[in-house]
Amino acid sequence: MESKKIGWNGKSLKEMLEESEKRLEEKKSYYGIESLSLKEENPFKYERAYASLRGALVSARETALHVAASPIVTEIGELCFGLYTPEGDSIAVSTGILVHIHTMSEGIKFMIREGYEEDPTINQGDIFLNNDPQCGNVHTTDVQTLIPIFWEEELIGWAGGVTHQIDIGGITPGHTLVSSIQRFDDGVYYTCRKIGSNDKIWRDHMISARKSVRSPLYWELDEKCRLAGNLMIRDAVYEFIEREGVDYYKQFIREAIEEGRQILQKRVKERLIPGRYRAASFMDLPMKNQAWVPIARVDKLSNHPVEIVVKEDGSFFLSFDGASAGGANAFNCDKGAMEGGQWVLLTQVLIYGDKVNDGAYYAVEKEYPLGSWANPGDPYLSYQAPWGNLIPAYTTMMKCLSYGLFARGFREEVVPGYGFTGDSIQGGGVYNAGPLIGERWMLSTFEISGQGLGASAVRDGLNWGYAMWNPESDLGDVETWELFQGGIPYLSRKVKPNIAGYGKYRGGGNYGSTAFIANSEKVEFFAGREGLVFHGSGGMHGGYPNSTSYRLQATNTNLEEIFRNKRDYPMSDDDTTNGEFERFLHGDIDRKPIGTIYPISLNNYDIIHFSESGGPGYGDPLERKVESIKHDLDEGLYTSEIVNKVFGVIAKFDDTANEWVIDNKATNERREEIKNERKEKSLSFEEFWEYERKKITDGNLYEAVKVMYSESLKLSKKWGKEFKEFWKLSEDFQIEVK
Amino acid sequence: MVNSDNIDRVHLLKVIALDTGGTMTDSFIIDEKGSFAVGKALTTGKEESIGILNSIADSLNEWKKDLQETGSGVEALVYSGTAMLNRLLEREGNDNIGVITNAGFEDLHRLGRALQCWMGLDYAGRLHAREHEHPPSLIPRKNFKGVRGRINFWGDELIPLYEKDVEKVVEELLDIGVDCICVCLLCSYMNSSHEMQVERIAKQIMKDIGAEIPIILSSEHNPVRGETPRLNALLIEQYAAEPSRKQLISIAETLKDKGVPAPLRILTSYGGTMSPYSKSLIPTMVSGPIGGMIGSKFIAEKYGIQNLVSSDVGGTSFDVGLTMEKYVPTKWESSLGGFILNIPMIALDSIGAGTGMYVRYNDVSGRLEFGPESAGYRIGVCNEQSGVEKVTMTDCSLILGYLNPVYFLGGKVPLNKKRAFKYIEDQLATPFKTDPFETARGALDLIEINMKNHLNGMIQGLGFRPENYTLLSFGGGGPLHVAGYSKGLSFQNIMIPEWAPAFSAYGCACADHSYRHEISVDLVIDPDKAMSGFVASMLSSTWNDLKIKISNEFEKEGRNPEEMEFKPSLKLQYFGMLKDLEVESHTDTLTAEYSAELDRFDSPDLLVILKRYDDLFEKIFRRGTKSPELGYHVTKAVGTGVVPVPKPKLPEYKLNSEKPADESSKGTRDTYWGGKWYDSSIWEMKLLNSGNKIKGPAVIEAPATTLVVPPNYQVKLDKHRIFHMEVK
Repeated sequence: MESKKIGWNGKSLKEMLEESEKRLEEKKSYYGIESLSLKEENPFKYERAYASLRGALVSARETALHVAASPIVTEIGELCFGLYTPEGDSIAVSTGILVHIHTMSEGIKFMIREGYEEDPTINQGDIFLNNDPQCGNVHTTDVQTLIPIFWEEELIGWAGGVTHQIDIGGITPGHTLVSSIQRFDDGVYYTCRKIGSNDKIWRDHMISARKSVRSPLYWELDEKCRLAGNLMIRDAVYEFIEREGVDYYKQFIREAIEEGRQILQKRVKERLIPGRYRAASFMDLPMKNQAWVPIARVDKLSNHPVEIVVKEDGSFFLSFDGASAGGANAFNCDKGAMEGGQWVLLTQVLIYGDKVNDGAYYAVEKEYPLGSWANPGDPYLSYQAPWGNLIPAYTTMMKCLSYGLFARGFREEVVPGYGFTGDSIQGGGVYNAGPLIGERWMLSTFEISGQGLGASAVRDGLNWGYAMWNPESDLGDVETWELFQGGIPYLSRKVKPNIAGYGKYRGGGNYGSTAFIANSEKVEFFAGREGLVFHGSGGMHGGYPNSTSYRLQATNTNLEEIFRNKRDYPMSDDDTTNGEFERFLHGDIDRKPIGTIYPISLNNYDIIHFSESGGPGYGDPLERKVESIKHDLDEGLYTSEIVNKVFGVIAKFDDTANEWVIDNKATNERREEIKNERKEKSLSFEEFWEYERKKITDGNLYEAVKVMYSESLKLSKKWGKEFKEFWKLSEDFQIEVK
Repeated sequence: MVNSDNIDRVHLLKVIALDTGGTMTDSFIIDEKGSFAVGKALTTGKEESIGILNSIADSLNEWKKDLQETGSGVEALVYSGTAMLNRLLEREGNDNIGVITNAGFEDLHRLGRALQCWMGLDYAGRLHAREHEHPPSLIPRKNFKGVRGRINFWGDELIPLYEKDVEKVVEELLDIGVDCICVCLLCSYMNSSHEMQVERIAKQIMKDIGAEIPIILSSEHNPVRGETPRLNALLIEQYAAEPSRKQLISIAETLKDKGVPAPLRILTSYGGTMSPYSKSLIPTMVSGPIGGMIGSKFIAEKYGIQNLVSSDVGGTSFDVGLTMEKYVPTKWESSLGGFILNIPMIALDSIGAGTGMYVRYNDVSGRLEFGPESAGYRIGVCNEQSGVEKVTMTDCSLILGYLNPVYFLGGKVPLNKKRAFKYIEDQLATPFKTDPFETARGALDLIEINMKNHLNGMIQGLGFRPENYTLLSFGGGGPLHVAGYSKGLSFQNIMIPEWAPAFSAYGCACADHSYRHEISVDLVIDPDKAMSGFVASMLSSTWNDLKIKISNEFEKEGRNPEEMEFKPSLKLQYFGMLKDLEVESHTDTLTAEYSAELDRFDSPDLLVILKRYDDLFEKIFRRGTKSPELGYHVTKAVGTGVVPVPKPKLPEYKLNSEKPADESSKGTRDTYWGGKWYDSSIWEMKLLNSGNKIKGPAVIEAPATTLVVPPNYQVKLDKHRIFHMEVK
């Protein structure tokens, strides 16, 4: 039996999608729209219409949030909703983890292209579930629920909701798994699967889903939460149509997206200067001595070169040409991740006050080179922790935009970068004492949503309050986190000095935490963050990057005895050269300069220390006002050693007044001294170029660096040509790797 | 404001409600029949009682009386004010406070859980990370001291308290010379022994050296999970509320000296009132918008309305609150001056959308934008003296004919219509390429739909539709915009009290005298309810503790605790969830019956409450979201004690004919609706009689508000002088 076509005017969805793409291609505007006729005819009605749809999405999210269970969703708000056209383009979005909004578009388009209309069919009341990075998702841990919205016999749109799970049933417990190296390690996969009908989730699905993850309770509640929000959105769409008529709705949703596209272009024109912008960042993945599977035992560095071309008409081109290769690790990114990262940042920097929808997506032309980490083209690789590349890589886009913003005079808008949303500590264990004995607990603090933001060109960066994937950051209370991860209680959570990137305006500062294992057994622990490279593309105009991560944990300790005898125990690691761990503890203290580790086992009274990330700085630290430095010292953001060494400020702590006092005379001398040191050390550009070039021609580079550049050279002729021209290397030059 | 039926009354003063704002102190007085008068006077900063006496005198002047002669009959005296809140907002509180936390958590307050940096922003502001900013700490960093020791989340000791640490930090704080010490240790809501130990040691040290300052424990002040809001509440209490106590007591004593026998009660954020001698004053910090909610609940009871949504349009904000099944819900989380708190607060949501809000044209997106900034009391460009240079909502209302330029605030502020027109033309209409009148109407439409979304969002957020609700509109701007922001929502009824501009003050007078306390209990009821007997007995005993605590508070202020009605309730969630809902209990002593078949104690009473929770949950979140199969988690026990106090009466007048009396007519004026000008009838509000009906297009004017009736609308004034708006 041939199923009835559910698109508009007797068309199938596939025909509608093809037509939409064709019109975009031909007319270079969304759906080939030439004028925003509804807006022109009655701009007030048009704005009212948009406000009512967006209002419905925001209130659906607010309400659904209270149904959700996992602490990540409720406490931290890791939830977002969107309304889509029949072809899957987002019309309006709620607040929340906006990074996922375009990802659901790709999920809908996947279903259309795969002919879901005919099999398994798309009907009013159907519920679809997706978490497949090959279908637009970021990683399996983000789970999307999509429902079609019908009006009479036609499909008029989709409602979508996404939540971030605490566990996805992968190779280890956790949500961003560093030991995953292939698709089969990534956890349960739902590739745009129908899981319900008549607004009800099928029981067989729920039974199987609950068995597929380690946190079945949270899975179930989050699944209900996404569905509840979607149903509220569907109601709002019906109300809209009853009020404005279906014809208005149909035309409106397309014009709203085209307007979104035009606005991004106008904002680009307003805020940036035409030209070619470039920046680069890197990420380390030190797996040589850690990975379980031979193929993954590699110390890998990733190259994230970015190029943005802005044209006079406001068109915007973004390319990752020259990116190094993907591989047997969890940091591979598919299209959904790349689009999501870009989209969420453009909304934060350029179009926060405008219509936030897929218009922005269509206004940007992009290039993700095949074979690179940004588009490996291999569905069997792992895509479990794309954030590992995505987060640092997009600092480059921010830096490029910041050059434009600076040049146009929007100095207060400059954001050279942001902190890595880490230290992402994860794992879990089982209670072996107390009222919850035998129950599993999961370690998954989403306090990573509170990182430092970069400085602007006029002021310091925000401390502990930024995540690139969700601008509504929330650390959560320790008392709430411990309800869910009570086997690893906190010993401290306090501001840690010297995290903020140095500069005339410093980056955002942050804090570090210490925790120990209690009342538990079978405890696994792992973490992910940069360690051997600076995060992202660093500071701007002389500002420094924020500090890098490291690992510190102590096992086989005498902590129990310390507590019993009320002696000193470590709470922080402010001075790593004379650490509290080393001074106060007996046991095995493990200090490593890397951020990402494979799971290790921990036992009761073992201790971990982890710190959040700062933001990069702006401008020369020697130009920082001494009053600001005094404030930094009083607030514990920098130590006096760093202030002396980097900022050239001499300060003494006054015990009676309980505050820092700056020695102005000594400071002036010290600053002069640093300037002289700089002069002595400095090279002319030609000298520097010669020096660096020799390293390349002699092959005098760390092996991981060689591998990285050889991959970039192999993957892009264009990038390679520019690289060789710059270093004046022969056309057939190659970097030799082992 | 005196209504026509009031003339020649005796006026025995029964109720005084006071509302002291930053600039003006309003008083609202009610007589034995429910008639009222409003007085205004300048707020007198340091000595608030002077302004209060002036304001009362102003209101009594309407009745040609003075306080000496009528004060002795006053039965209810209620105060609400912004002094404490301003102390917090303007950072003028007492920061000489010592704080003891767990060692390693001294930064708890300034970390602020991060969310305080964006919490108060609108959609665009939330996305625009660059503008996020943490509120500055209330207390200097050096005043935070840590002591080692830890309790875990189920209340066991993980690390013993290091007494030596306590001795050291108490001595340090005493050396600094702090005025008091706040103690907030992790998980003290489950086990307060470490906090109590800190108190004991500190008291001993003080005794030894002859010092005496208060020590406040978070486990006593507010034993609720969440260390950030718990500490914030503790600090704000000492920083802003406690320094106001003296002033409140001085007001109470001044009025007592003037012969007013009724004790002064202060309105709280949970809707009751408390004495200025209460242990904790923080619940009184937000009371301004709460008054309107209490008044709404009072109206709902008098009219027998099940579900009522109250909407208050002021100069800078639009506040919406719900009374649901005659019950006013409290919020999950509250905030004050940018700090998150865990004190109970009526669920009331505000958006920036007042009559003074600015309207502007954005030349990149080519559209009109508005707010959230506002000209506030400066009104708009039409107020020439104000220095305002940007068009506001009031300017738009003026050129459309809705406002009378010579009758604004009774004519005290002349409005310049020509100036408003010119600014609207230059700033909005010309760049937008539309007619200035169409632009002004369009701008109001956009703002009103934003208000409507907010209103509708709150109702739908609780699972209802406007059809289930009656809308009550008040505030100076409510009557002006109610037709706009209710358009398209089919409310059961739309009510606008004649005393709309003073409705919040009126509401204060309607408040109960009550104390409310919450305590985290974290009791789990598994899906087969095997533990229901145990949970029931734990709850009964916790309610008993709360009852004693509240009885003591009443006794302390000289009330007879026997008179107290105790209302027990609990906060519940499905196991694994993080957000709870409050459900009332029909009894404070839950049954526990032995079941021989199951060999366990069950509680039929508790099962009734669980069912009530299931129903409420389904009502709010709808379809398929109920999860009783996961079991339940009782997060908090809540107790409210109420003692009877006199409430104002609703005035009642005889109904006249539908046709208004001739003297109430003020002629006609052109007003603009949907692209056309209409010849609209103009009426003087106080001269209309109960029973009169006015058909739109019409404008009903009063000195402090203007009720606008669009074409195809009509209003009818009922026997209590409340207008009912209908769409034909």
